[in-house]
Amino acid sequence: MATAEQTVSLPQTNALTKRASDRSSHSRSPATTRRRPWLAIALFIGPALIYYTVFVVYPLFATVYYSFHTIAPGGGQVTTTFVGLKNYQELFRDSTFFLAVRNTLLWGFVGPILEMCLATVLAFVVYYRVPFWRFYRVAWFTPILVSGVIIGIVFRWIFNVDWGLVNVALRAVGLNALAVNWLGRLDTPIWVVIFVHLWATFGFSFVLLLAGLSAIPPELVEAAYIDGASRLQAIWRVMLPLLRPTFITVLILSFLGKMHAFNVVWALTNGGPLHYSETVATYMQKRAFSYNSLDLGYPSAMGVVWFGVTVIGVGLISRWLRSRSNDLN
Amino acid sequence: MAVATRPLSDQLDLWSRRFKLSLLTLALLAFTAIIIIPFVWMVLMSVRTTGEILNNPYGLPAQVRWQNYLRLLFDPGIQFYRYFINSVFVTGCAILITALLSTLAGYGFGRTRYDFKFRGWLFALLLFALVLPPQVMYIPQFTMMATYGLINTPFALILIYGALGLPVSTYLMATYFSQLPSEMEDAARIDGASDFRMFWQVMLPLARPALATVILVNALTYWNELLLSITMVTRPDFRTLPAAMMFFVGESASDYAMAATSLVTATIPILILYLLLSDKFIEGMTAGALKG
Repeated sequence: MATAEQTVSLPQTNALTKRASDRSSHSRSPATTRRRPWLAIALFIGPALIYYTVFVVYPLFATVYYSFHTIAPGGGQVTTTFVGLKNYQELFRDSTFFLAVRNTLLWGFVGPILEMCLATVLAFVVYYRVPFWRFYRVAWFTPILVSGVIIGIVFRWIFNVDWGLVNVALRAVGLNALAVNWLGRLDTPIWVVIFVHLWATFGFSFVLLLAGLSAIPPELVEAAYIDGASRLQAIWRVMLPLLRPTFITVLILSFLGKMHAFNVVWALTNGGPLHYSETVATYMQKRAFSYNSLDLGYPSAMGVVWFGVTVIGVGLISRWLRSRSNDLN
Repeated sequence: MAVATRPLSDQLDLWSRRFKLSLLTLALLAFTAIIIIPFVWMVLMSVRTTGEILNNPYGLPAQVRWQNYLRLLFDPGIQFYRYFINSVFVTGCAILITALLSTLAGYGFGRTRYDFKFRGWLFALLLFALVLPPQVMYIPQFTMMATYGLINTPFALILIYGALGLPVSTYLMATYFSQLPSEMEDAARIDGASDFRMFWQVMLPLARPALATVILVNALTYWNELLLSITMVTRPDFRTLPAAMMFFVGESASDYAMAATSLVTATIPILILYLLLSDKFIEGMTAGALKG
């Protein structure tokens, strides 16, 4: 009986990875003294691990290996030449790469923050059941379902300088000066990309935050009201701090989304004009397969650098938010 | 009745709250319009002629032309049906691979019965792929496929997509399996059922909501994937929909009606799948994501 309860309650300690150590610390329960069903274990997790090793782990290491080489595919075979750190040195001299890094970092910084603020406000609005909340919940989620390619193409039309919806609307209210060539200038395209991607992905953060809000025990909020808190104070002092784990999840997922994003940029601006809305993802694709430079080593070095940046970014976000929540407790 | 007995200050308070609420509603409706207008515009364009659109991009259709859709689907010059079939085939096969591997692995990782010393480690290693940008792996994936002669076949995409959704799916399945009670498992074991029968006949049917989530999440990813699609497949016959649309809109840049029709049609399968699985989807997504 005790073991049955244990297996039911253990999953509530949320990280599955923790459970291995949990079990070994009090390992004399009957379930573990029995011989382990190794055959079944191998049968269940073996296939996935093998598949994962072949198609993810191997390519990951191969990318690192490639980044120290010049890789020229052609004529059915691949010519590999060791060049040491040359690819990395070249990266530092590549002004287009700098532009791509600047754009992607700007996006990775501004995008998640905007998305989290917007999604939080919207989640509260639906949580408090304003009129039409059911309609909002469906409508705000729909952009998630649409392909980034389609979104990119449609917004290329919407931001068209002559007949795009944005400029038509601006001219209609007399703001002709603001009706600029959104996708043709050097300064605006990256902001259009940020806006369009926000439009496309905020629904996901919204759903996560709404679920996080709904998971807050109502007693805690009621207790705050009984202690004389106003609704704003209850939100600010009770609900937002309790939402912190969800904020971490939302920020990290959103950040990763910006770091991985390819479709929307490729279809919307294709990195242009003059690489001013280039991101690392689009530049890598161009260097690897669109330019006729026939070298897969250089873009691999880009990938390795970008992998490092992404891991550091995720680490910073989680550390920053975790330490802040520790301060509060 | 109650209103009549209220003092004036309360009345004013009520009105000011109503005023604030209508302001809020107005703002929210305006915001929602920003979300919805692109969709509405796309659908309207898809049933007009390009001539009409060029005259007035924001007019209503003079006459609803559903034949645009017929032309798109059956015109051999456009070959939309071919891309559509390619996408269905690639997405379907890849989901099959991911669903099979991730339910098995999710069961092995999720149940305490199969715990062993380095299981937590292996699971963390698998989840690490969530942080990896797909760009970090796709160049060796390309050379790998080139070595085995799979470039320009749907199988290159199927094999790699199968791995793409594996970490998320295994995570969702493992979380779900770990929350199922073990009584039924114990009972089945006493009856002499093997591990695999226990999984297949007892536990998997219980995990159907998680499976629905896995299918929908991966369908969304695979159906809309572009980077690998344009890299692994350059022959027009084998293009999937996102890649085909990039070229379609690029080549026939002036045919806005047909472009809009293709954009709408490409979205419909996912919409249908979403409507079929939506309750379980949001539930399963949030259940999984909030654990992390």
